Amino acid sequence: MMNDEHFFDLAMKAIARQTTDAERMELDALMAREPALRAEFARLQKDARLAKDALPLVDATKAAGDKLPAYARGRLQTKVRQTLGHPAAKQKPDQSLAWGWRWILGLAAATAVIVLVALPTFRTPSGPVVQVAMLDTVGAVRGAEPNETETLKQQWKNSTVQSFDQTGSLENWETNWPTGDKMTVKVIYDRAAGEVRVLLHQGDESQQKTFAIEQDLATTLQQVNNFIHAQWNGKTLKDEQ
Amino acid sequence: MNPPDLHALQRGDEAAWDAAFGWLWPTVFAVAQLKLQPFLPDEVEDMAIEALGQLVDKVRSVKSVEELKPLAASIAHHRAVSLLRERFAQKRDAGKTESLDVPVDDGETKYEPVWEDSPLDSLAEKELAARLQTSLAELKPPQGEILSDFFLYGLRYEEIAKKRGVAVGSVGVYLKRGLEAMRKIWGQDENN
Repeated sequence: MMNDEHFFDLAMKAIARQTTDAERMELDALMAREPALRAEFARLQKDARLAKDALPLVDATKAAGDKLPAYARGRLQTKVRQTLGHPAAKQKPDQSLAWGWRWILGLAAATAVIVLVALPTFRTPSGPVVQVAMLDTVGAVRGAEPNETETLKQQWKNSTVQSFDQTGSLENWETNWPTGDKMTVKVIYDRAAGEVRVLLHQGDESQQKTFAIEQDLATTLQQVNNFIHAQWNGKTLKDEQ
Repeated sequence: MNPPDLHALQRGDEAAWDAAFGWLWPTVFAVAQLKLQPFLPDEVEDMAIEALGQLVDKVRSVKSVEELKPLAASIAHHRAVSLLRERFAQKRDAGKTESLDVPVDDGETKYEPVWEDSPLDSLAEKELAARLQTSLAELKPPQGEILSDFFLYGLRYEEIAKKRGVAVGSVGVYLKRGLEAMRKIWGQDENN
């Protein structure tokens, strides 16, 4: 019986086309003498094909070094927020959560009373000028996206939605306020950051507030709208400051 | 770079995901590159990002952090294969015979790589991820590296021995044990 290791090494070299003529002749002679070795050689050829198929993927799984492109981070974090929600609320201590709910319930009750009793007083013939924009520097993570432009349009039906893919042009838009004393509001949906920024401007006064999208865009836009109307119906920006 | 905290990922913790994306990126990028570079090189980065996005969808079904890289690799592999099938089908339907997006060298020689299905492509995403995970666990260094040196990079026994700091006589032993492990993990059950 010949040495198994020697046959294996010869077979490996033959499969990898690394044999010398002498080694190839020796291998052929061995297989002619022992037919079982021919079957073993065929099995090793099959194993080698399998290894060539699977090893690149195994190696790729162990890869290191390349760095995630910076632009992808915001896009992926938005996906995390949309899929898994915002963890901050879950991490808050129970005590503050309880107080938070009390505040919310209290405010909701107070708001309901105000709305029912004093609505006619607060109702004004027109609201502030609302300008809406969406910043989407990287595009959507393909596969799961609602029509966000439509959601924005539905919230502010009288406003057109501007789309920006560069922060520079958005900044120009943000700083371009109409003249006059009427309150003007700019609403900016920053898709990558997962937030909605609200800029209010009246005369020489300005105010800004940011709303993180914790549940979904439509809910956040409703919160933004409530905030805008609270400002419009309540105080001037000067009073607020 | 350390593996991320799986529970924090499942909660949607931003910092944990930041770390995880950095940790997983080399894997998904390498897999996307492996499949797409010869045919659709412009799609590699996008495909890798999409694979990470899809991993976010599946993270709640993951039981241990060791599953993450193989799962990410499997997702990237399947997405890349789907894309290749789709694009090749489009080309076939359009009656075009040129290779996909691969520039033709010059007027005389045409570089026309041909993409073929691998037996791995028929494995379901979870199955592929599980086999990758087993391979990573079973092929302890330098066994996996020696297999790659020989089968992927065509190095000779002597070159491998020098590169890996092992005796020439033991290279064959590593190859034999490595192939047996690969057969056990990836091979079809011949009795079936």
